[in-house]
Amino acid sequence: MKTKALVFDALSLAYFAALALAAALHPTAREFQHFFQSAARGFGLVAGLLALGGLAAYPFHRFKARTLGSAIFAGPVRDPAPPPPWYRNLAVIHFILLFGLTCYVGGVMTQLSLRDMLDADGLGGAKRLGLALATPNWKVLPDAILATLQTIYMAFLATVFAIPVSFLLSFPAAKNIASRSRAGLALYSVLRLILNVTRSVEALVWAIIFGVWVGIGPFAGMLALFVHSVASLTKQYSEIIECVSHGPVEGIQSTGASLVQELWFGIVPQIILPYTSFTIYRWDINVRMATIVGLVGGGGIGTLLNEYQGEALWHEVGCIIVVIAIVVWLMDSASAYLREAIK
Amino acid sequence: MADSPLIRVSNLQKVYPNGVHALKGVSFDVRPGEFLVVIGLSGSGKSTLLRSLNHLVEPTSGTIEFKGRDITHPDARTARELRTRMAMIFQHFNLVGRHSVLSNALMGALHRTPVWRSMAGLFSEEDRHLAQHYLDLVGIGAKSRVRADSLSGGQQQRVAIARALMQKPEVLLADEPVASLDPATCHTVMDYLRKVNTELGITILCNLHFLSLVREYGTRVIALKGGEIVFAGSPSEIDDAWFARIYGEGAREMHIR
Repeated sequence: MKTKALVFDALSLAYFAALALAAALHPTAREFQHFFQSAARGFGLVAGLLALGGLAAYPFHRFKARTLGSAIFAGPVRDPAPPPPWYRNLAVIHFILLFGLTCYVGGVMTQLSLRDMLDADGLGGAKRLGLALATPNWKVLPDAILATLQTIYMAFLATVFAIPVSFLLSFPAAKNIASRSRAGLALYSVLRLILNVTRSVEALVWAIIFGVWVGIGPFAGMLALFVHSVASLTKQYSEIIECVSHGPVEGIQSTGASLVQELWFGIVPQIILPYTSFTIYRWDINVRMATIVGLVGGGGIGTLLNEYQGEALWHEVGCIIVVIAIVVWLMDSASAYLREAIK
Repeated sequence: MADSPLIRVSNLQKVYPNGVHALKGVSFDVRPGEFLVVIGLSGSGKSTLLRSLNHLVEPTSGTIEFKGRDITHPDARTARELRTRMAMIFQHFNLVGRHSVLSNALMGALHRTPVWRSMAGLFSEEDRHLAQHYLDLVGIGAKSRVRADSLSGGQQQRVAIARALMQKPEVLLADEPVASLDPATCHTVMDYLRKVNTELGITILCNLHFLSLVREYGTRVIALKGGEIVFAGSPSEIDDAWFARIYGEGAREMHIR
């Protein structure tokens, strides 16, 4: 706990130092790029900042100051002394500084500008576009509905294909099952790593990859959603397995049943409802994701939206937005209703 | 050979990975057909002892013999076979709540049912009859179609007994079978355990808390304290002095009527 607190404080002080350095030198993007072109220089700077943070944080811990780190990683034992008022509490001041500075830097980074928002030209453009969107061209409605149906079926198939794969993977990906043997733990670590990497690659990127592989279109979109669904569902499924009560599992084990029987009778009855619920939710998410995947040529309503938007046909885009909104709302309510019903 | 023990435990030790020394060299015999009660405070090692016998817990050192055969460190297949022959019931029943009472009793036949048949719920006709028979034996036969988690605690424990009997065991390990039941139900369950012991001739090893139950049902008793056996003998021999030694000075006996 003490080490974690020290690391936290050191990191946050190193962060302050980095911000101070940036504020003092105010490097342009080009200068920044140039500096980090040498890996040694880059690592040197980062290591230097970290060392500085560590050096600065150390005396606080040496003299047992109430830093933010020690407040977060306090552990179960509380300091018996009453905390000082907030303006003299180091942890509170540290937090306000950290939060406030990060907000400020966030504003600078995102080029937050009221002037841009209230600019007359910009406002006029937004108004024109908004009006066009608000008066949809219903002539494209049949096309939009057909494309939406494609999107829904694409999402459905991706979910259905993902279910058995995730079901099987979820057992070795659950810590309580994996930790029974050394081989299990090894498999668990590898599986988790692969899943985390797969999940951190956006469905959008998968769609581009599969677009090259099987050709642009709904099939590529479906495969992209499938890969993403397997990674997400396996994680959610395995977390459910980690929460089952151990009693029934032990009960089945005590009868001399085999491992498969133990999982089938001890665990599966406990997870079947949460699994169904998460799966319905995943279909719902996939419909929304399919729209985004369509933007890069994954087929369905997203592709249609991209085409009209590219040609600045805002009345047609308006129609599509209405259709998407209705479908998302319907799917959302239906899935919530179903999940509530089977609880 | 009436004297040869069914189970012989010698110098059994168990140290958990977190450093808890639950059993510090326990030795005793279990004789065929007896109703052996294990008493002791919570944390005295009773549960660990029972669980090491059917390998839900792996002992650290010492030996366990079953009918003269060393079963201390069996391979996975042998461990499953031994669990079948030494059935177990638990404080919290450990039934599959969403399955029916009959299905739960049939779980005791898993070891003799091929995996794919069991997964499809295809137990043999013989086992179905046997399950119903044992459910009738523990007086819960009329509820065989009901979901197990809709039963009361005492009823669930009787289903657990039926499941254990389905294994056709030689020994029944009962880990505090009545600790979460009310006093009246407690006696019902204990009466069925006695019935299993006397009528079916199944040897019983039972962890209990209440001395009054020990005196009523046990044929022999061993007492654990801090992972060691401090008493072994007949239940009637436990007087106030022994009670204080087992449970610590200042403890008072609770009576269950």
